[in-house]
Amino acid sequence: MTASEALVVRGLVARYGEQTVLDGVDLEVRRGEVRVVLGGSGSGKSTLLKHCIGLLSPSQGDVWLLGQPLHGLEGAERIAVLQRIGVLFQSGALLGSLSVRENVALPLREHTDLPEGVIGELVSLKLEVVELSHAAHQLPSELSGGMRKRAALARAMALDPDVLFCDEPSAGLDPLTSAELDELLLRLRDRFGMTIVVVTHELMSIDRIADRVLLLSGGKAIADGTLEEVKSSDHPEIRAYFRRIAAGEMRGSATALTVLRQASR
Amino acid sequence: MLRVPLSARLAYRLESGPGGDVLHLQGEVTRPVVRELAELLAEPRTTLLTLDLSEVVVMDSAAVAALVNAWRRSRAGLVVGATSPGAEQALTLFRVGVEAVPPTKPMSLFEGLGAAAFDAKAAVRDFLQIAADTTFAMVAAIVHPRRMRWNALIEQGHDIGARALRIVALITFLVGLTVAFQAAYQLQQFGAAIYVADLTAVSVVREMGPLMTAILVAGRSGSSIAAEIATMQVSEEIDGLRVMGIDPIEFLAVPRLVALLLVMPLLTVLADVVGIFGGFLVGVYYLDLAGQAFLDEALTALKPFDLFTGSVKALAFAYGIGMIGLFYGIRVHGGASEVGRMTTASVVASIFYIIIADCFFSVVFYILL
Repeated sequence: MTASEALVVRGLVARYGEQTVLDGVDLEVRRGEVRVVLGGSGSGKSTLLKHCIGLLSPSQGDVWLLGQPLHGLEGAERIAVLQRIGVLFQSGALLGSLSVRENVALPLREHTDLPEGVIGELVSLKLEVVELSHAAHQLPSELSGGMRKRAALARAMALDPDVLFCDEPSAGLDPLTSAELDELLLRLRDRFGMTIVVVTHELMSIDRIADRVLLLSGGKAIADGTLEEVKSSDHPEIRAYFRRIAAGEMRGSATALTVLRQASR
Repeated sequence: MLRVPLSARLAYRLESGPGGDVLHLQGEVTRPVVRELAELLAEPRTTLLTLDLSEVVVMDSAAVAALVNAWRRSRAGLVVGATSPGAEQALTLFRVGVEAVPPTKPMSLFEGLGAAAFDAKAAVRDFLQIAADTTFAMVAAIVHPRRMRWNALIEQGHDIGARALRIVALITFLVGLTVAFQAAYQLQQFGAAIYVADLTAVSVVREMGPLMTAILVAGRSGSSIAAEIATMQVSEEIDGLRVMGIDPIEFLAVPRLVALLLVMPLLTVLADVVGIFGGFLVGVYYLDLAGQAFLDEALTALKPFDLFTGSVKALAFAYGIGMIGLFYGIRVHGGASEVGRMTTASVVASIFYIIIADCFFSVVFYILL
């Protein structure tokens, strides 16, 4: 691997008990690109994300984050790597007992020795980036879905991460708010040179934001490349995904007529 | 919209031939006649039944379901032959999936016992893991005070301690009063009313004070710890902390546990004082004892060792309540219903633990004296 890659996943296998959720997945993310991991429910994309951010340890395979083997690290080294990534959780994962300001300040208070005044200023700067200065003193429960996402984004960016992971950024948002969030992500990439990994099932926004796409299905990567490359693939499952054909049409089931034409027993 | 009279009957013709029976269905095969169709198809047969659908005008989903169901159940065999465009349209509109296997098959008694034993083993291991992590982090935070979350500690101490003062005082006052009344009733018969002071003081300080305080704290704070941590777990807040490189044990568990350990002995002392006061009121106003005599008697009955045992109990209860609340909170996987279930389970487990531990300590201290 080279320094141009922010994240490398090799042969990742994840098992819960007897169930294999990921079966040998490879993923490379170059610095400064928006990489989309696309997949339906149960495709294993959330599990892949949790391995990339260190919440789960792989059954087999490796994850290198910013050149470091994530699962070989412990203690301070591990925290040092984790501090260089930010994660935007699907639900925001803001602490419900803290105001927006305090939530954004939390990683700064925990991991830096900045004086309180500087932290306050820095929080204001980050809130300005996500256009949330007016709601700084509100609690997460008082915010709308889109505002909560932006507050979570501000917190994820608090330590100027090299890589930003977003789990279903558009989940629960109306198309307009979702589009605004997409623009915001692109702006972050352009202005701060951030590498962004987006895990989603939404087709709507990837046209706009994706540099490269990894399509997961049944725990395997079935396509990897630019959006055009992936879309032009002949693979029936890939075509089905982009044409939004239900999975039932794809495998197994047959029409009632086909079934009834065969004599039973 | 096609309207079919309710009295509609299935139009059909059944022919027997050398290759088996042929059922010619005719006209509109829709919901009103499907029951009749299903019964017709369910009649026991010994030979293959061929369905001729070429005279069918219209078929609906109920009819398709009846055919597929009959096809599945048929012993002698069932097959569709000729079809009309209407029948073909209906039959191609619906798809027959592969029957899903029920996810959980019922376990036998022994399988169930074995699974329960493995679950219990895993739970014990998890509990010990969390208890060890939390205790270690707590000691670390006490040795290195910079690692202690002082704000959270003060907040928790206020929540668990200060805000529980009134209810703890009220309950233990009433318990002291009740104990004194019960004792008075018996002791008066022997003219030994003054010993109400001894009995109240000893039973409140050794047993009732620590026990009632612990049960109240388990109900108030043990449950709230479990519910809060569980909710944070469900809404990904704990994952969020982990990813930010903040240890949730240090951030959430330690302040709660330390607050409990600090506050519980204090609440117990309050409970002791208020409980004895309840007995004092009974002694003075009901038994007409002199106030000073009651207090002197109560104080001579108590030994410093009693205060020590009360405090040891309070600390042991506090540790247990905290660990049980944390454990049940962290264990939650799933959604909102799981949060409620685990909160309830944590209170039941806490109270169970308190009673067992109280019993254990009472026996140990009895032997020690």
